Amino acid sequence: MAVGLRSLGHKTWRNIASIQTGVILLILVVILSAVGTVVLQRPATEPDEMQSAYSPQVLRILDAVGLTDVFHAWWFLGLLLLVSLCVVAASVDRFPNSWRYFSRPYKYPDESFRRALHPQKSVAIADEESGLVAAERALHSLGFKPERVVRKDHFGIFAERHRISELAVYIVHASLLLIFFGTIVDGLWGWRGYLSLNEGQTSNLVQIRDKSTSTLPFSIRCDAAGQQNYQDGTPKKWWSKLVVVADGRDVQKKEIVVNDPLLYNGVRFYQSSYGLNGKVEKLTLVATPSKGSGEKREIGLAENATVALDADTTVRLAEFFPDYAVRDGQVYKKSNYMENPAVHLVVTSKSAGKGFDVWFPPMEEIADNSKAPYHFEATDLKMGHFTGLQVSHEPGQWGVWSGVVLMGVGLTFVFYVVHVRFWAVPVCDPKTGKYSLWIGGSANRNRDAFEQRFNDLVASMEAELKPIPRISRSEQVATVAGN
Amino acid sequence: MARAKAEQQQPTTGMTLIVMVGLAIAFLLFMAFLNVVKSGNLLNETNLLFATLIFYAGAGALYLGFGVTGTESYLKFASLATWLGLIANTAAVAHRWYEAGHPPFASVYEMLLSFVWTLAVLTLVAEKKYGVKVIGTVTMPVAIVGVVLMQLLRTDVHPLVPALQSTWLHVHVTLAMLAYAACALSFALAMMFLIQDNLQTETFLAVTSASTLAIYASVVLTRFEKWGGLSLVAWNPEQKSEVFLSRGVRLFVTIPDLGWLLTLTLLVVASPLVFYGLARWKNNDSFLALANRAVFLSILLQVMALVMFLVRARDGRYPSLDADGLFPTSLAASPFILSGLVGGVFISLLYLLLLWRRSDLERLLPSADNLDRITYKTISLAFPLLTLMIAAGAYWANQTWGSYWSWDPKETWAAITWLVYALYLHMRVTRGWRGRRAAYFAIVGFAVVMFTFFGVTYLLPGLHAYA
Repeated sequence: MAVGLRSLGHKTWRNIASIQTGVILLILVVILSAVGTVVLQRPATEPDEMQSAYSPQVLRILDAVGLTDVFHAWWFLGLLLLVSLCVVAASVDRFPNSWRYFSRPYKYPDESFRRALHPQKSVAIADEESGLVAAERALHSLGFKPERVVRKDHFGIFAERHRISELAVYIVHASLLLIFFGTIVDGLWGWRGYLSLNEGQTSNLVQIRDKSTSTLPFSIRCDAAGQQNYQDGTPKKWWSKLVVVADGRDVQKKEIVVNDPLLYNGVRFYQSSYGLNGKVEKLTLVATPSKGSGEKREIGLAENATVALDADTTVRLAEFFPDYAVRDGQVYKKSNYMENPAVHLVVTSKSAGKGFDVWFPPMEEIADNSKAPYHFEATDLKMGHFTGLQVSHEPGQWGVWSGVVLMGVGLTFVFYVVHVRFWAVPVCDPKTGKYSLWIGGSANRNRDAFEQRFNDLVASMEAELKPIPRISRSEQVATVAGN
Repeated sequence: MARAKAEQQQPTTGMTLIVMVGLAIAFLLFMAFLNVVKSGNLLNETNLLFATLIFYAGAGALYLGFGVTGTESYLKFASLATWLGLIANTAAVAHRWYEAGHPPFASVYEMLLSFVWTLAVLTLVAEKKYGVKVIGTVTMPVAIVGVVLMQLLRTDVHPLVPALQSTWLHVHVTLAMLAYAACALSFALAMMFLIQDNLQTETFLAVTSASTLAIYASVVLTRFEKWGGLSLVAWNPEQKSEVFLSRGVRLFVTIPDLGWLLTLTLLVVASPLVFYGLARWKNNDSFLALANRAVFLSILLQVMALVMFLVRARDGRYPSLDADGLFPTSLAASPFILSGLVGGVFISLLYLLLLWRRSDLERLLPSADNLDRITYKTISLAFPLLTLMIAAGAYWANQTWGSYWSWDPKETWAAITWLVYALYLHMRVTRGWRGRRAAYFAIVGFAVVMFTFFGVTYLLPGLHAYA
């Protein structure tokens, strides 16, 4: 029973680690993501747009299956987890082999290896030592550090470069997992929201995607915000001067623009929009007394602000409509766009004991502007602005970025760094008693280019060998005689 | 025997092609002339683009001409024309850059300009460095399509909106253009490989005509309207959405006469398949020659149908059977029909390319093994570029929208492209996929790239509104 279970587990493991499983999973990811780009997706598309695009039955089915929010559906996340598991399993399954290859380099080629290796070549040499020295010199001149391998009954030369290339693919897989890890951390602990501030306003309430709000442990104040335009009127730059307020103190200041956010305590504030908030910042009026010969006065009014015109009279900006319409003797707000603005002033006179309504533009069916003790002329209207901030907290993004960098490194190693190995072994033909140097080489990729390099190496070895023979023979005689 | 027959039939089809291409160039020259007269200024961008188009078209025609006739001297001139086109193209890029004050990456038009430029450069590199002399037969038509598309798209310089003012944008788009051009090159090499690999063209013929037949059959069966019209979804240009009568019920407009044209095309597209069937049934190769001719005819009609569709469905107001009055429509309202028609022309042209197998062409191309290896090398260049492109885009998005990944269609399709090439690499390394299967994979990968580049921008809604 236990054995059955173990073999079942083993079988499952082998299946997960197999390339087929990986390919099937990746194809599934491809298909489902493609579906997710074709079917309208829920949070981005407004509900009424969804309802007009699909008939109720179709929409019900799509919703039930989760196709209207593919990228946040549990099965899609599950699929990505399975892919990660597959990457882990495949890597774990293959890693020990590569590690053995990496940690215990194959330095002395045995006979069967020598027979099968391509490319290889044999060069005639006078004796073992001179051949090996020539090989060493040739390898040195190519920038290798050849190493003498001495075993009990044989010896040779081994040289290699970029052994790390054998492990590069694991670097790429690890980086992929690191990226996944980062996004999972962000999915669990990160959040995104929106914060809209009028100039001068302080707030710590962030609107999260699902209409809930979250309170920050610090507040943010907008001192000023603005927009610069190109000559043709399209926006060139949005900026906001933001101040972080914590424990009643200003702790950080920054002027943010699009593409350059403010970062405080892991929370980022991005400039995302800028516009009119529908409120009056300053209405400039010239007031002239209706009776008598009082002087003209220029006054500035903000929304709901009251200004004294003389000892007896005050004026208040009671209502402002960016886009108004009149129906049944009432003024309505038609929209929030600055299309057709209207201003409602209330002039109060203590002596008369009542208020007079004044409208801009004048509306006779509602109020008679001439009854008021003052005559007004609007000269300038300055509207208040808001700055829209995207707020996000992404604790996992460092995982993502380090994963990306690691992947760049890994891919460079995978594609462009080649593990090159050379072996040189002196061989003595038992029949003739003549020596030759067997030279072999291998590269783990880009083999056609390697063959050229190998031939160059052999040529340079042969060049090293040529002038040597006579001298070395006499040397050898000397050493033999010395023994 | 079969080869002898194929070589007999070549000259006629070759002549048709050369005449067609020649006529097209004459037409373009005429248009360019009109344009110069109208503007009075030689070195403006439109004229530079026309010059680019003419030279690239000339290069394409010469490459094709070589493919058909085997005259080697054509190649030299083709290469020269590519150089000249590249000079004009560079001038157009520089002009645009100077006028806009930023590198030309801000709109689809500007990106196409850069893409075509990169493609031409890579073509010349492949030619000079790897000796793939006829690579232009595939890349130049792609470049020509790019330049023609540029003429259709608006060309006025737009200042950069705040979100686009970032160095990361330039990094992102440069990488994208390099990666896409490398993908285009790998596709071209894969096609060369298939030519060199003695692929059975008959099977390809059957698959090509069956799929084009399926495309046209589904369009005609679902959209053919009374009295030869073609019904398309109405489009509301202000809201940039389809027009709905009620929940889930779209308003259709009828474009008169287009239905007949598509039906005619359907019949012609079906004919190669019929001939193929006959050839199989009667075991008679002469039917195959007929089938090949029918493919040429079908491409002609398909291009005509596509052009008519583009011209009539791009804008204009048409009557509807369900409501009174005239309603506008747009290409964006009919994404599937448009991609179907484009795809049909595309696969038919691929087949056309395979027909050019000739012994002299085989001699001039590197061996199949080498082509396979160069294809792999190109993809191993494209894949890291794709990775970095996505990473730079994610970094930029993080700086701008506060989120490095938001699954918008362009992002998702970029990821799909990446996955497709990742699959290719895995199959090659672990399963030893070489040769034909790898070549098919490279072709599919490029199709996905093209969809990510054009399809997503025009057919799917999303954040990447500027590109």
